[in-house]
Amino acid sequence: MFQFIRPDIKVDFVGKRHFFVAVSVIALAASIVLFFTKGLNYGIDFTGGAEVQIQVPHAWDIGKVRAELTTAGIKGLKVQEIGLAGEGAGAQSAVRQFLVKAQGDAGSLNQTSSTVEQVLLKTLKKGEYEIQRVDVVGPAAGSSLRMSGFLSMLYALICILIYVTIRFDFRYSPGAVIALFHDAVITLGIFIITQKQFDLQVLAAILALIGYSNNDTIIVYDRVRETTQQHPEMTIEQIVNKAINETLARTILTSLTTFFTVFALWLLGGGVIRDFAFTLMVGLVVGTYSSVFIASTIVISLTHFYKKREARQKLAGAKA
Amino acid sequence: MTKNWWAKLSLLVFFVGLSVVYVYPTLSGLDVEKSRFPFKQKINLGLDLQGGLYMVLGVDFNKVFKDVVDRQGSSLQDGMKEKKIEFKSVKTVRDGLPVEDPHIVVEFDAAKRDELYKHIKKDYWTLRFVDEKPGRFELGLSREYRVDIRDRTMNQSIEVIRNRIDEFGVTEPSIASQGTDRVVVELPGVKEVDRAKDLIGKTAKLEFKIVNDKAMNPGQVAELVSKIEKDNNLFYKEGQKFSAYVARINELAKGKIPESNEIAFERVRTVTGQYDPNQRIAYLLHSKTEVTGDDLQDANVSFDQENRRPIVTFSLNPRGASMFDKVTGEHVKERLAIVLDNIVHSAPVIQTRISGGHGQITLGTGEGDQLMKEAKDLAIVLRAGALPAQLDFLEQRVVGPSLGQDSIRKGVLASFVGMLAVFLFIMFYYRVSGVIAATSLLLNVLFVLGILVGLEATLTLPGIAGIALTVGIAVDSNIVIYERIREELRLGKKPQGAVEAGFQKALRTILDANVTNAAAAVVLLIYGTGPIKGFAVTMLIGIITTLFSAVFVSKLIFDWYLRVIEKKNSDTISI
Repeated sequence: MFQFIRPDIKVDFVGKRHFFVAVSVIALAASIVLFFTKGLNYGIDFTGGAEVQIQVPHAWDIGKVRAELTTAGIKGLKVQEIGLAGEGAGAQSAVRQFLVKAQGDAGSLNQTSSTVEQVLLKTLKKGEYEIQRVDVVGPAAGSSLRMSGFLSMLYALICILIYVTIRFDFRYSPGAVIALFHDAVITLGIFIITQKQFDLQVLAAILALIGYSNNDTIIVYDRVRETTQQHPEMTIEQIVNKAINETLARTILTSLTTFFTVFALWLLGGGVIRDFAFTLMVGLVVGTYSSVFIASTIVISLTHFYKKREARQKLAGAKA
Repeated sequence: MTKNWWAKLSLLVFFVGLSVVYVYPTLSGLDVEKSRFPFKQKINLGLDLQGGLYMVLGVDFNKVFKDVVDRQGSSLQDGMKEKKIEFKSVKTVRDGLPVEDPHIVVEFDAAKRDELYKHIKKDYWTLRFVDEKPGRFELGLSREYRVDIRDRTMNQSIEVIRNRIDEFGVTEPSIASQGTDRVVVELPGVKEVDRAKDLIGKTAKLEFKIVNDKAMNPGQVAELVSKIEKDNNLFYKEGQKFSAYVARINELAKGKIPESNEIAFERVRTVTGQYDPNQRIAYLLHSKTEVTGDDLQDANVSFDQENRRPIVTFSLNPRGASMFDKVTGEHVKERLAIVLDNIVHSAPVIQTRISGGHGQITLGTGEGDQLMKEAKDLAIVLRAGALPAQLDFLEQRVVGPSLGQDSIRKGVLASFVGMLAVFLFIMFYYRVSGVIAATSLLLNVLFVLGILVGLEATLTLPGIAGIALTVGIAVDSNIVIYERIREELRLGKKPQGAVEAGFQKALRTILDANVTNAAAAVVLLIYGTGPIKGFAVTMLIGIITTLFSAVFVSKLIFDWYLRVIEKKNSDTISI
């Protein structure tokens, strides 16, 4: 039997919980503050704008592309080099890929792709260049996508809250949802710090993450509940610590295998898949951490809270 | 082996066989035309993978509600006249009201109030009372009627777009409503993107209006327009909305032109056939529309006798023809403007009364090929009918075919490597049991692909990532089960008992985990469009197949493995 983690492992996770809660609260607070001050680097999906991906001969470097396009008077022009292909196969076949971004009102945005094409046609023949992709999102559509995007995260959290409440009870469900909220917010925080572009794919990845990140939490919760039934004499701290230790191997293994696939997607997937996978990688790490340190800690606090309330009610009942 | 086991195995073999049949045409690159393989359905690739045009169009209801209220107002007037109910005035008010709820204000003699009230209550379910003052009703459209208008406008828009696209010739287009005011159009593999956009976005509202040369001659109109432009520093620039410019000119011209008249423009082309932003001809038109494109019967491309340029000829239905006949008879020697989407195309002088209802639209100067295309498209949109409302492009995404190919290559490679890493890891970690898990995961992927083909769902780039991710997540179920089995073994159970207990106790955890995954996927399915929806679909299918392969398939293979152990009289299980 091959194993990374010895089955008789006994780490005092619960004893150190105050430290980890402090770390998480600071990270959460920092993310929220950054969200409202620095803000996410929204892609055109959420701000509106135009993006044209072009492929031009190798001789066209970023300076040339920018200079040529500037003459066409595109509003809010930004040019970004995204790739080289066919290098070494002779200068003839080598090409460069650029992302041309523009801002403006709906009317001028719709013209962006034909304006770019006209500029390229001035010096290049058809076939020497290629317009590979055009994305145009009107400003109004962008802000409505952003609104519904954040709402959808909220809906996902509410669905999970309801489900966990039904399957477990009120001592467990807040911890699961707070852990998920924690994962989503800190992942967003990392996007703010790195200023990586936040677009629809990233949002989709965060939603997928909200669904997946809960799995590890549920594994621990199941074990906590089981242990509670088997060992009524143990304190909740002991139960939770035992549960975390017993499930530690599978928590790490499940995250690790998922990380393998996500890492491969990030490394080799290119373009859209890359951003998607990056989000999941960050989320996986944060999610595994929160399943162990945050979700169960909240169960401990809530158990104490309900016990005290019960005791108070009993006392009140006895007096009456 | 027990009977039960063989039954389960047959079921599995059936599913595997079915999936293979479904997936084979896609994976082998089967030439469906020539092959004699009975099943020909291939996997549907999303626009991001096969290239094409994706658009979200917003339906502009402002004008629709305005027109409806105007019509309701005049119908109310006619109705009151017919019933001999006296009234002072009927007006529509829009200021300070939401766009979809303009009001009609009726002023009347206070003594007639009850009669009028009854009349409206009885004959106009479309109207509701908003406010009443002595001698004055304020009416709005009823809620049901507004909903009805919205639905009808949406359905008509979709219908018209579909008709136009059908004539344009795109394979498997998809046109669907999204929410209450949006239409999503997906055109896979379309090459002439700009042409498709023009074809869909054009309102194609054809109107015939009389030019009011009696009030002002063409020179005076042009002078007035250039004065308005200069006084208000208002100039049309390329890329701006031409309709907005025209609306502004008309607003400023109010009072300087006769009432119920309007200024409209004919756009002038340069030699290359592009519209010249700096040149246009102004017309003063009677606002009343004499005949509209609703009465059009047919439209075709034809050639001008004199200069062999393409033109669009049209014929009107009997109702339109008789109205056309009447108008041309009444206005001989005046000019008749042919107005398409509020732009004048030509304004020939009516030489004699025109019966029969035939006419033609000239397209102006331009290069032959392009003009021909334009004539064809105009004929298409006229035949397919006008859109009931103006459409705004909210989102458009174009993916070239080569990019799609490249995406597929990279996505498949990344997914393959990711899955391989998982397989290798799990076989190393759990040995024989790991091989069992890898087998069930492999079948899992086969099932996902089979169901995708079977449901005719669309595979998108995030969807490919979704399949890889499914494997990453599906293996979790195996791990949960195996760790449980190891625990049971450590408690001293025999392999048989440990496996049974492991599967049984892990089931609940696996169910819970997958349900929350599914909840997030469903939210994504509802929120997401296009590629993202494809991701949600593969995730959902993956969750179902994961439950099946982890609980059913793995258990089936395990039962066989336990049997082998038993035969060897061994007490150790490789896990």
